[in-house]
Amino acid sequence: MVALSDYLILGAILFCLSIAGIFLNRKNIIVLLMSLELLLLSANMNFIAFSHFLGDITGQIFVFFILTVAAAEAAIGLAILVVLFRNKRTINVEQIDTMRG
Amino acid sequence: MNDLLFDHLGFLPDPAALTVATLMKILLIMIPLMLGVAYVTYAERKIIGFMQIRKGPNRVGFFGFSLWGLGQPIADGMKLAFKEIIIPTNANLYLFLLAPILAIVPALAAWAVIPFSDVMVLADVNAGLLYVLAMTSLGVYGVIIAGWASNSRYAFLGSMRSAAQIVAYEIAMGFALVGVLMVAGSLNLREIILAQQVPLNLFGFNIITSGWFYIPLFPLFLVYFISGIAETNRAPFDVAEGESEIVAGFHVEYSGMAFALFFLAEYANIIMIATLTAIMFTGGWLSPFDGLLNTEILSVPVLGALLDSGIHWLFLKMVFFIYLFLWFRATFPRYRYDQIMRLGWKVFIPVTIIWLTVECAGILLEIEPWFV
Amino acid sequence: MTFQYGLFMFFAALVVYGAVCVITLRNPVHAVLHLVLTFFASAGLWMLLEAEFLAIILVLVYVGAVMVLFLFVVMMLDINVSETREGFVSYVPVGFLIGLVLLLQIRIVVGSEFFGLDQYPLPVPRPADYSNTAELGYLIYTVYVYPFEIAAVILLVAIIAAISLTMRRRPESRKQMPDKQVKVKADERLKLIKMDAVVSVDKKDQGDDV
Repeated sequence: MVALSDYLILGAILFCLSIAGIFLNRKNIIVLLMSLELLLLSANMNFIAFSHFLGDITGQIFVFFILTVAAAEAAIGLAILVVLFRNKRTINVEQIDTMRG
Repeated sequence: MNDLLFDHLGFLPDPAALTVATLMKILLIMIPLMLGVAYVTYAERKIIGFMQIRKGPNRVGFFGFSLWGLGQPIADGMKLAFKEIIIPTNANLYLFLLAPILAIVPALAAWAVIPFSDVMVLADVNAGLLYVLAMTSLGVYGVIIAGWASNSRYAFLGSMRSAAQIVAYEIAMGFALVGVLMVAGSLNLREIILAQQVPLNLFGFNIITSGWFYIPLFPLFLVYFISGIAETNRAPFDVAEGESEIVAGFHVEYSGMAFALFFLAEYANIIMIATLTAIMFTGGWLSPFDGLLNTEILSVPVLGALLDSGIHWLFLKMVFFIYLFLWFRATFPRYRYDQIMRLGWKVFIPVTIIWLTVECAGILLEIEPWFV
Repeated sequence: MTFQYGLFMFFAALVVYGAVCVITLRNPVHAVLHLVLTFFASAGLWMLLEAEFLAIILVLVYVGAVMVLFLFVVMMLDINVSETREGFVSYVPVGFLIGLVLLLQIRIVVGSEFFGLDQYPLPVPRPADYSNTAELGYLIYTVYVYPFEIAAVILLVAIIAAISLTMRRRPESRKQMPDKQVKVKADERLKLIKMDAVVSVDKKDQGDDV
C-alpha cells in the first residue's frame, strides 16, 4: 500500500526539481515563476499527505490558503513580467540592471 | 441501472463485472450523445433554414428516399472521415494533433456525473457540480493550443479571443452555480434535482414547476444560460470564429477528422450546457406535474408514465434549450469583441454577486417558500 | 502491488516527468504545458488522498485559469529563447548537484523508517457519503474565518495590482467618445465663411488661402 513516506519522497523530489530549475534557468523569469509554482505544489503535496494520514483536515485548509496566495503571486508576477517586457523588450534577468550601483 | 447491469454480469468475477458494467454504461451515454450531436447539426441547418425561409438539407436520405435530408449528418461525417488532415508548414506537429483531442476529452468527460433519471447516473459523486465546472474549464486548452500550433495569424487571433472570452464567462457561470448550490445545499447533481422536487405552496395553491430553481434564481438562470452560450463560442458570441473577420478562428487550419473532433466538441458542449441548465434550473428529470397528480392518473397505462417524472422530461427540456441556442443564432447579430467582454465583466458578474447577496439575505431571514 | 499503488506510481511518474520537462525544455510554451500535466497528475494524487475538493479546485483554478494566464503571457511575448538559454549547460552540474544533495538530505529524514506504514498506518477509509467539501467549508467559515477574509483581501489586492500594472492608454489608439459626439452642436462642426464666388487672379493675398 502507499505509505506516507512515498508521498513525502515524491514531495521531496518535486521540491528538489524546482530548486534545480531555479538554478538552471537563472535568466528566464517565466521558468523561474514556474519553478516557484512547482515548489509550492510540493509543499501542498506534503500538507495533504499529512492531513490524510493524521486524519486532521487542517492541513487541507493550509493548502487552500497556499493555493490562494500562489494564484495571487502568479497574477502579479505575470503582470510585472508583461510591463517589464513592454518597456525593455526582454525577460532576461541579467539585462534588468538599470538600478545597478 | 447500476445494479441491474451488475447483476446480469454475475457470471464474471466482481472487479471484471464492475469494469464491464461501467464500460457498457459509458457506451450507453456516448452512442446516443454522438447521434445527438449529429442530429443537432441537422436540426440547426433545418431550423435556421426554416427561420430564413429556406429548405435546409433535403437531398441525402436512406435507400433512395430523400426523407427530408435525414441522412445529411451521416454523409457529412463520412466525408470528414475520409478527408486528409493537412498539417501546415512549420506547425508544431504534436501540439497540432493534440489540440482536437484536448478539446473533445473534457467535453465528453463531463458527462460522467450527469444524472439522467433518479437511478441512471454513471458516477454519483459528491462534488459533481465542481467536477463539471473543472471539466468545462479545461476545454479552453484545445482552443489555445490549436491556435498556437497552427502557425497562422488568423488561428492565433481567434484562439486568443476565444480563450479570453471563455475564462471571463467562466466566472459568471461559477457564481451562478454558487447560487444553485446555496439553495440546494449540495454539490451532488442528483440531490440538486431532488431539492427542486416539492411544488411550493404559493398563496394557498400548489403551482406547477414552482419548486424549480429558475423562479427564485431567475437572474442567475439567465446569466448561466447566456454565459453558457458564450462559453461554447456560439452566436451571437462567436467572435472566435468570426468568419467575416478572421475566416474561421482557431480551427482555420484543420481539416478532416481533426476538424470533425472540434465540431463534435462544440456540439457536445452545447448539449452539455442545455443539460446542465435543465438539471440545475428546471428540475432535470422531474415532471412539471410532479407531486400534483394523484395516483389514479399516474396509474393510467401510457398517460401516467408520460406525466410521471422520468428521463423523457429531461430530454424535452434539453431539446428546448438546444432550440434556444439555434434560435439565438438565427436571430441576433454578432457582438463586437469589447462588448462581449464588457457584458461578461461589468454586467454579469455584478448581477450574480448582487443576486447572491439577495439570496444570502433570503436564506438568513428564511423567506418562505423558497429559502427554507 | 495493489491497484491503488499502481495508480500512485502512475501519477507520481507523470508528476516527476512533467516537472523535469518544465525545468529543461527550450520552448516556454511546452514548459507551461508540462506544468499543466504536473498539476493534473497532482490532482489525481490528491484524489487518492481523499482531498477531492482541493483536487478539483486545483484543476479548476490552477489548470483552468492560472496556467491559461501563463500560456497567454508566454504566447503573446516574443521571447528570445536563445538569449535566456545562455549558460544553461554550464549551470547543469551545479543545479543537478544541489538538487541531489537536497534530495538525499530530505530522504534521510522522510524515509520509510520514520514515516512508513508502521509509524503511520493507513487511515480508515471514509464512508461513501462523507463530504470533504462540507467539512472544509465548515472549518473555513468557523475556525479559520479571519484567515479566509485575509485570503480574500489578498486576491482583491492581486486583481487591482495586476490591472493597474498592465492598464495603459496607447497614444496611437483612437476610439469613439459617445458623450462628446452626442452633445456636439452644429456650429462646432460646421463653419460658414463668406467669400466671393469668383477669386480674381490679380488679388494681393493670392496664395494665402491655398
